[in-house]
Amino acid sequence: MPNPFGVLQLSGCAGCEVALLDAQEWIGQRRLAYMPLVLTADEFPPVDTLLVSGAVRTDEDLYRLRAASKRAGELIAVGTCAISGGVANLGDRDEVRDLFFSAMERRHVPRLLPKLRPVDAIVRVDRYLPGCPPMPHLFMLALFGSPDTRLAASVCIDCGRKKTKERPTQLRGLQEGLPDPGICLINQGYLCIGASTRGGCQAPCTKAGNPCVGCRGPSDSFISRSSDEWFNAIRKVFLRMTDIPSEEIERELHAPHLSLFVFQFADYTVTTRRPEQVL
Amino acid sequence: MPTLTFPLSRIEGHAQIIIKLTAGEVQHATLQATELRGFEYFLQGVPAEQLPIIVARICGVCSTAHHLAAIKALEAIYQVEPPPAAVYIRELLMLGQLIQNQATSLFLFTMPDFPGSEGLPSMFEFGGDDANIARRALEVRRVGTELIGLAGGQFIHPIRAVTGGVSSPLPEDGVRALRERIASVLPLACELFERYWELFQGLHDRIGTLGDDTPSHYLASVEEGHAYYGGNLRVLDPDGVEQASFAPHEYQRYLTEQPVENSYSNATLFNGHVMRANSLARLNLLPRLGTPIADIYMLRFQREWGHPAHAILLFDLARGIELVYCLEKALEMLEHIPDGEIKAPYTPRDGEGCGVVEAPRGPLIHHFNVVNGLVEKARFIIPTQHNILAIEQALMVAARRYVHGDRIDLELERAVGRVVRAFDPCISCATH
Repeated sequence: MPNPFGVLQLSGCAGCEVALLDAQEWIGQRRLAYMPLVLTADEFPPVDTLLVSGAVRTDEDLYRLRAASKRAGELIAVGTCAISGGVANLGDRDEVRDLFFSAMERRHVPRLLPKLRPVDAIVRVDRYLPGCPPMPHLFMLALFGSPDTRLAASVCIDCGRKKTKERPTQLRGLQEGLPDPGICLINQGYLCIGASTRGGCQAPCTKAGNPCVGCRGPSDSFISRSSDEWFNAIRKVFLRMTDIPSEEIERELHAPHLSLFVFQFADYTVTTRRPEQVL
Repeated sequence: MPTLTFPLSRIEGHAQIIIKLTAGEVQHATLQATELRGFEYFLQGVPAEQLPIIVARICGVCSTAHHLAAIKALEAIYQVEPPPAAVYIRELLMLGQLIQNQATSLFLFTMPDFPGSEGLPSMFEFGGDDANIARRALEVRRVGTELIGLAGGQFIHPIRAVTGGVSSPLPEDGVRALRERIASVLPLACELFERYWELFQGLHDRIGTLGDDTPSHYLASVEEGHAYYGGNLRVLDPDGVEQASFAPHEYQRYLTEQPVENSYSNATLFNGHVMRANSLARLNLLPRLGTPIADIYMLRFQREWGHPAHAILLFDLARGIELVYCLEKALEMLEHIPDGEIKAPYTPRDGEGCGVVEAPRGPLIHHFNVVNGLVEKARFIIPTQHNILAIEQALMVAARRYVHGDRIDLELERAVGRVVRAFDPCISCATH
């Protein structure tokens, strides 16, 4: 089978790998040459495409990423952790940092790096596949491409909930109340940021009644700009559709569960990440 | 002191085995977990209501279990009971989790160890009559993620379960479609499991052992007819007598957690004893499962290896029986989804609470202290931790079998891989 590909998993949760296994149509089309989760291999083989998931948290992550990238043709950073560090980034908050490192002095295990890094801070990345995790059909797109595929520009377009003239005056808690099944979550006072989050996921979260937390990162127009500009766009949506005080929106936008995802692009770049590199 | 290092593959997460020898005598065998993200530390100060979203990210394989354990712990703090219709949906979510996990562990992780004299590097290498195992195995596995997707709204890091219940009812067309899918996959799963059992016997004949068979303590949170939703934690002693049963919030009276010097994972003990959790622990506590096909396999299993059974490679077969059970149970439950309220009202408040679910690897406990709506302390007692010392004990048994005064049998490398995979450890969870 032609076009071998490999999967290098750094510090993450393996959710991206599980999603790839769900996209089983690649079997028989491309050869999986490296993926320790399902395959025993002593050495890292040369591959045409290398998918990297997880963040660079330990010295071993750093070493393995450098070694593997030398043997790879195209390199795709997959998932929030590889793109910006993801959930483990919360460990770099000043107030937990000291605690974290002082408690974790153990012997003969890979050392934790003083600062967690996204993959493109270490090696060249050709493309980005964001999502926590990316849906299986997006993996197929990453592995095979298809010029005909047009992904929805934002989660809003995939969602299909109806916008109304209802103008809520205060934010509801993330898990508060029972959302009406057909109506836009913003009209119901939930902090949903699907309007400016990259589409293509088919909006499973909002369809099930949960606000979009932005795991796919910003839509194309905000990729190369700072997240402040993305924040502004979100604020404007709430200004247009609700009477919720903007300080309240401002405060909640910086909540940890959103900050995992919201800073995914421009703020972490060492090199510019261009929209055409992002799936 | 000569040291042998074996990196591990076909397990979840990063770990390696270290065996130390002096003069041909095995001194230590340890499992080193080599990754860490620090959830217990960085969750301090996070708003409690976000826990169900953030802690799912502890593990992409077991995200459902973490999602639900966190919600149950918050419900204990807020003193709210989810309505029965919501619990029903959450149980389906756990069954999806188990189907996905057991199929992965059986066919992707352990089955390649069995054929021939050396096993295969992966399930993609099966040839001859077995050439389509990979495709069929992934088909069975995917039904599990489809069930998680249906019941949880998302197939990984699910979102439908929320504090107080669930955020929306299940879509009727989705339920119908999935019932048909499971009905068509169940015979396929049985067929694969039969082949698995045959190859397993082949391995047994070749190596002449099923590994460490020391009678042990077993821990599980199960009862007959359960759907892995978790309740009281139960402990079986080495003679097969139930020695303790305790509520999640009482866990500290029975379970102690100790750091392991050379690993980022802690280990747990039951009253100072090494114990085992995961599939075999559950089957040892539940002589009968309650669905027709699974109980036929169960009888065959008990006839061949007795009850309780102790040899560690039997964890693998036990996982297969559970796969069949979960498919049957999910099919039965999807027949009649109950109507009724799906969410109970509550007022967030501060306090301390614990939540438990029976995750694929055993009881998972989340324990939170909430002050001013923020997490003051978060503690995770992970199923893989319950098994850490049992794994090391079984590694010693394997190492002593294959390390001789004058030489080391090459079977050692394969044997230690099989030992670890039998316990199906999840290192991302264990270290979190």
